[in-house]
Amino acid sequence: MSALRDRRLQLAVVLGAAAAMAAVLVGASLIGAREDGSVPPPAAAPALEPEPSLFAGIEQSGTALGSPAAPVTLVEYADLQCPYCAQWARDALPTLVDDYVRAGKLRIVFHGLAFIGPDSNKALRTAVAAGRENHLWDVVHGLYLSQGAENAGWVTDSLVREIVHGVPGLEPDTLLDGRWQKTIDPELERFAAAAKAAGVQGTPAFQVGPTGGRLERVEVASLDPEGIVPAIEAALAR
Amino acid sequence: MSERSVRLASAVLASLGVAITTYLLYVRETGGSLVCSTGGCETVQSSSYAELLGIPVAALGLAGFLVLFVASLARGEGARLTNATVALSAFLFAAYLLVVQIVVIDAICQWCVATDVLTTALAALALVRLGPASSGRWAP
Repeated sequence: MSALRDRRLQLAVVLGAAAAMAAVLVGASLIGAREDGSVPPPAAAPALEPEPSLFAGIEQSGTALGSPAAPVTLVEYADLQCPYCAQWARDALPTLVDDYVRAGKLRIVFHGLAFIGPDSNKALRTAVAAGRENHLWDVVHGLYLSQGAENAGWVTDSLVREIVHGVPGLEPDTLLDGRWQKTIDPELERFAAAAKAAGVQGTPAFQVGPTGGRLERVEVASLDPEGIVPAIEAALAR
Repeated sequence: MSERSVRLASAVLASLGVAITTYLLYVRETGGSLVCSTGGCETVQSSSYAELLGIPVAALGLAGFLVLFVASLARGEGARLTNATVALSAFLFAAYLLVVQIVVIDAICQWCVATDVLTTALAALALVRLGPASSGRWAP
């Protein structure tokens, strides 16, 4: 009888201790989630500030930037982990946006590829989810400016939240939840098929041509505006 | 079920837990992709709930399963009480994480569910080992 009482007491103590330990773990988890201390940004990530204002006032629709009525379309094939793509986004894109897209002359369409690795896939899915909210270009540019070492796990929740913070009307949870939906897959397949059809073998790669018409591959000699502007001017002149 | 069988079963389950949490930690540290048939593993593993005060939950899980593995193999009252306390707290915390996956994150990670199953079974075995039926008897 006494042994049974001892066992019950022992069981009560064990249950109490287990409940206390679990309560501490749950409490710590809730505090961590509230502070959004998800994953610390990797040390390799450069401390560059996103520039969401680059596209302020410009129409974004799905993967497209600029007016659908623009006479010329530029398609960019890129992997968000590709350093040359990031360089092009930093050095050439602002000039194209200011001189051609804002003027209603050019529409740029993003076709993302994810061949470098897991962070490419995560970044691209995040961008496509942003495209569903017509903010793909804000997120793509933010990711380029924060690009970390290849597959270092730099596409963190906190980075996405940081990028989205500067984009009015875009909720981070919409991207974080939406990027893994299976409905994203067909869009990625569409990008890959378009890249294959265009003969893209490296990034960044470009096609230029009349909007709604036949686009031609353009081999850029440099990643600054001068590398692509002649092809745009030629298309405008036709 | 003899205590020896209970301890062996617990050790096997704990070693499975060690394998799963080691895999999750490896993928996390190498930046690789998780094998995932449920589609929500990346979402769950990259969420703010995947860390606890800066420590990956997978690392805590690994530590917990290692303790359970050792406590399962060890004999004596201390091992039995440690096994029960850790297994039950792991079961409660795993239940909380399952609710978080369903209600908050809205994504299910198959590896997390697998560890949930393991912690549930380990908690049940710990209670069997602790229970009155095994008191006063020893089956080496």
